[in-house]
Amino acid sequence: MQSNRLGWILLAPTLVILFFFGVLPFIYVVYVSFHQWNPFAADPTMIFNGADNFRKIVFDTEFLNSVGVTVLFVLFAVISELVVGYILAQAFMKEFPGKAIFRTIHTLPLIMAPIIVGSVWKLMMTPSIGIIPHYLNEWFGITVNIGMSPVAAFTTIIVMDIWHWTPLVTLTLIAALVSLPPDPFKQAQIDGANKRQIFFHITVPMIAPAVVATVFIRLMDALRTVDEVWMLTGGGPGSATRFVGVHIFKEVFPKTNYGYGSTISVIVLYLTIVACWLLYVTMLAPRNKKE
Amino acid sequence: MKKNNPIIAIVFWSLVSFLTLFPIYWLFVISVKPAVQLFSTPDVMLSDPYWGNYAKVWGDRLLRSYMVNSLVISTGNALLCTILGFFACYALSRFKMAGKESLFFWTITNRMAPPAVFLLPLFLLMTQVYAVGDFRLLDTRIGMILVYCTFNLPFAIWTLRPTLDGIPKELDEAAYVDGASSWKVITEIVFPLCRPGLAVTLILTWVFAWNEYLLAATLTNFNARTLTTGLSEYVTTTGTEWGIMATISVFTLIPALIVFGLVQKHIVAGLTFGAVKG
Amino acid sequence: MKTVFKLAASALALSFATGMANADDAFWKEAAAPYEGVTLRGVTESSPPSLYIREVLAPEFEELTGIRVDIETTSWDQMFDKAIKDMEAGTGIYDMVYIEQDIVYSYLARDFLTDTTQLLADNPALKAPTYDEANFTTFADYFKGENGHLYGIPMEAFIKIYLYRTDLFGDPDIQAAFKEKTGRDLAPATTHAEYTEIAKFFYEYGQENDLQLWGATVQGHTGHAASWYEYVETVAPTFGIYNWGIDADNNYAASVANGGEMNSDTAKEALQWWLDLRQYAPPESNQSTWTEVGTTFGAGRAAQGLVYGENAGWIAADDTKSLVVGKVGVALPPLAEGVMEEVENGEGYIGYYDGGAFGLPSTSKKKEAAALFLQYIGQNEVQPDWAVAAPRVTNTATYDDPKVQDMNEELGGYYDMLKDKGYLFAGAPAYPFHAQLREAMAPTFYNILTGDLTVSEGLDKMAEIAEATLTELGYRK
Repeated sequence: MQSNRLGWILLAPTLVILFFFGVLPFIYVVYVSFHQWNPFAADPTMIFNGADNFRKIVFDTEFLNSVGVTVLFVLFAVISELVVGYILAQAFMKEFPGKAIFRTIHTLPLIMAPIIVGSVWKLMMTPSIGIIPHYLNEWFGITVNIGMSPVAAFTTIIVMDIWHWTPLVTLTLIAALVSLPPDPFKQAQIDGANKRQIFFHITVPMIAPAVVATVFIRLMDALRTVDEVWMLTGGGPGSATRFVGVHIFKEVFPKTNYGYGSTISVIVLYLTIVACWLLYVTMLAPRNKKE
Repeated sequence: MKKNNPIIAIVFWSLVSFLTLFPIYWLFVISVKPAVQLFSTPDVMLSDPYWGNYAKVWGDRLLRSYMVNSLVISTGNALLCTILGFFACYALSRFKMAGKESLFFWTITNRMAPPAVFLLPLFLLMTQVYAVGDFRLLDTRIGMILVYCTFNLPFAIWTLRPTLDGIPKELDEAAYVDGASSWKVITEIVFPLCRPGLAVTLILTWVFAWNEYLLAATLTNFNARTLTTGLSEYVTTTGTEWGIMATISVFTLIPALIVFGLVQKHIVAGLTFGAVKG
Repeated sequence: MKTVFKLAASALALSFATGMANADDAFWKEAAAPYEGVTLRGVTESSPPSLYIREVLAPEFEELTGIRVDIETTSWDQMFDKAIKDMEAGTGIYDMVYIEQDIVYSYLARDFLTDTTQLLADNPALKAPTYDEANFTTFADYFKGENGHLYGIPMEAFIKIYLYRTDLFGDPDIQAAFKEKTGRDLAPATTHAEYTEIAKFFYEYGQENDLQLWGATVQGHTGHAASWYEYVETVAPTFGIYNWGIDADNNYAASVANGGEMNSDTAKEALQWWLDLRQYAPPESNQSTWTEVGTTFGAGRAAQGLVYGENAGWIAADDTKSLVVGKVGVALPPLAEGVMEEVENGEGYIGYYDGGAFGLPSTSKKKEAAALFLQYIGQNEVQPDWAVAAPRVTNTATYDDPKVQDMNEELGGYYDMLKDKGYLFAGAPAYPFHAQLREAMAPTFYNILTGDLTVSEGLDKMAEIAEATLTELGYRK
């Protein structure tokens, strides 16, 4: 094994880029988060106000509400995507005619831009004129209005997210399932284990790393979701779909509340990192050590 | 597990495919409808398509330049992230550097940042700090390629790490014993073995870059505007031009589809993040 | 295609071909000589008037002067963000920015804009003989600073008017049915009760005859500030609540307790009236911004509505987008008793006079060249074709142009109304914290729309939030 110097040289470009475009902006955001700063306030300058913003955030019901709906959204969306993705991945493990074509079709939503996905779903869901509410009403007499019903809006966003991102989950799970060694399964069958036991005691532990990595990517992307929701509901009705991404957007863009908006971002980033870190150490790290 | 009835599988997959394809089909339907028909009772089947939007989009020189920008930026960014990610993962996988696992985790935190608030510092840096003379990084293709690294480079590192970990170290060591240089080992022995993983990293980072909206909308003005930001030009005060937007969207799908089709067979082989080490 | 839009299309080609071959060309050539080869950059909202600048006026100007003009058009919220970031950071990317009538006070408060009057006075060589501030309509006054100088060249101006379907209102059978049901003649409403009555009538008419027709448009998006705008700009003034119910002279008081009107009984009555209208409005109303309101009306789904004038043009005349071409009439919005007297006395207004101007950022590094272009688009000569391509009038002389007169006919007399009744309308209040306060109140407002808060609770809370926000921003002491 050669010197670590080569390792650092290979890592250097990555670290340099992430430093200039990730770390420096982050330091700036942290700096601003300790200030009161709105360029259209009576005093447009940055005023240092210590930890006031952080104190305020604890009692900010709008922010807490947005964290709440975001957590709900992430839970619903990511769990559904895992379940649906797993079922589909298992279905792909079998041979059937046209499998390659079906798999290609299934990956198509992945290549669509979130802003386009949001636009299409908005048009499909426009109350009374969109094709989905129209036929739901025509065939089943169900009225769906995402402008009025929080449940309808929230559900639509979850369905949209499932439609858009399940393919990524399916693909990673296929990769994981394909690489499973056959021996443990044969052994378990010989030992007389039933399907459920095999699933929980062999399949799940073996694909866990893939699942965690997928959940990771989906989790952090779901937390940042802005484009699709922005197009579809704008965060409404009321605050039903005002996810943190949208909340921060409204705080920073139209409201130009740079100081407090930075505080919210720092907190959200911190919460995300903690959640991911916990997931990482509990699920992946022990396994890595073992090997 | 091959004893299943193919009919059931085909019916099942046809149903899934229908659900998958419908929104894409609908996008197409919108793109071939005259504006005046959009707000009337929807019709599932397509009758008498109207190609005016396509002519308009194709004939628009601005949109064509956006298309070129999008292609250059996403291709440049995907290549950069995949190559740098490969080097980084080789380092993380092969060397016993202090704190490398923390570093590995830290890279991914760059993808977690809520983008809205980071636009201001990025704007300031790219106009005032990363500037030489009259040149500034804002509104340049190279600037966007670098900015997109903040979310794509971590992704590349996370996708490639298991691939690199999966290649036995004994291979490199054998080559070193034979007197090969480090460069030769990395490029001629390890790199080819990682091909499936590299392909999938390339395609997914490409797609993420191709589809990015918010950063491009703020950090480009005239020279480096991308196709997704072009969409927002049609959300006007006097009516969103859904037909044109849908047409542009269809245009954005085509290159993505081609790129995706090219590496389709590598995707499953390469997407092994966290999969059991072979 | 109706004639005006044919005209618009050919205007694009014609004005290009003929240019404006007159004596003034010499001035432009001479004045622009030092700046030849310069590229000016502007950012604006993607709207028909802006597109006309990009597609027609900018190329024309370049041909004449050798000064290139790049116009970046983008969506409404992006446009503000980009202009503000540039001017705040002092980057000097833009030489021209779109200033909507409401944000001008924020920009002026921050000295973001160049005093164009002063700039031209200081540089007589730049002053075009065909440009005169006196040519503009009174709308230009909104872009004047405290010194009376002009900080932006008006480029669009509309009023938000009452549109109704002349084919429905003029149908003898419908008229008879209406008379039978209500005991009065069917005509555009002058009071709120009449407006509701008409909405209810057409809603029922649509239901009975199985038509895709409803009683009135409502700009009632439950997650977009458009709904808040419709209430404060369009509905509240017709009940006599002006300037959002905030008393700027009284320490920006909003609540009744402190001397404001935001949660007064009249304000509550106004909001309740508007909310009740929704039962007769098309189902998409609670997902509607100004854009969808226009589309809904253009698709023939509403019998009447309060619609931005910029949309009236295509609704009334562009058959590639609208199903109700030639079937649209314009009227003044319905008013509560006493409001018209107040307005005539100069104490209020009956609706929103919207629009925007092109301003020259203080941070621009090419002010002289930009000043030339701004004068170019402010000339009387370029106005008529522009008004035809994108219904907007900013210069007084434009009303009398034959092309604009023709268009006035097609638009059901909209330009006449803008000219004769424009003084009854007003721009947004002169607050330098427009978007900031709006976004602070908006979530509460959405909760009223969804029914999570009653009108009374909601407006009380909004007044409270308004005062708290203004205190935090430092405007309320």
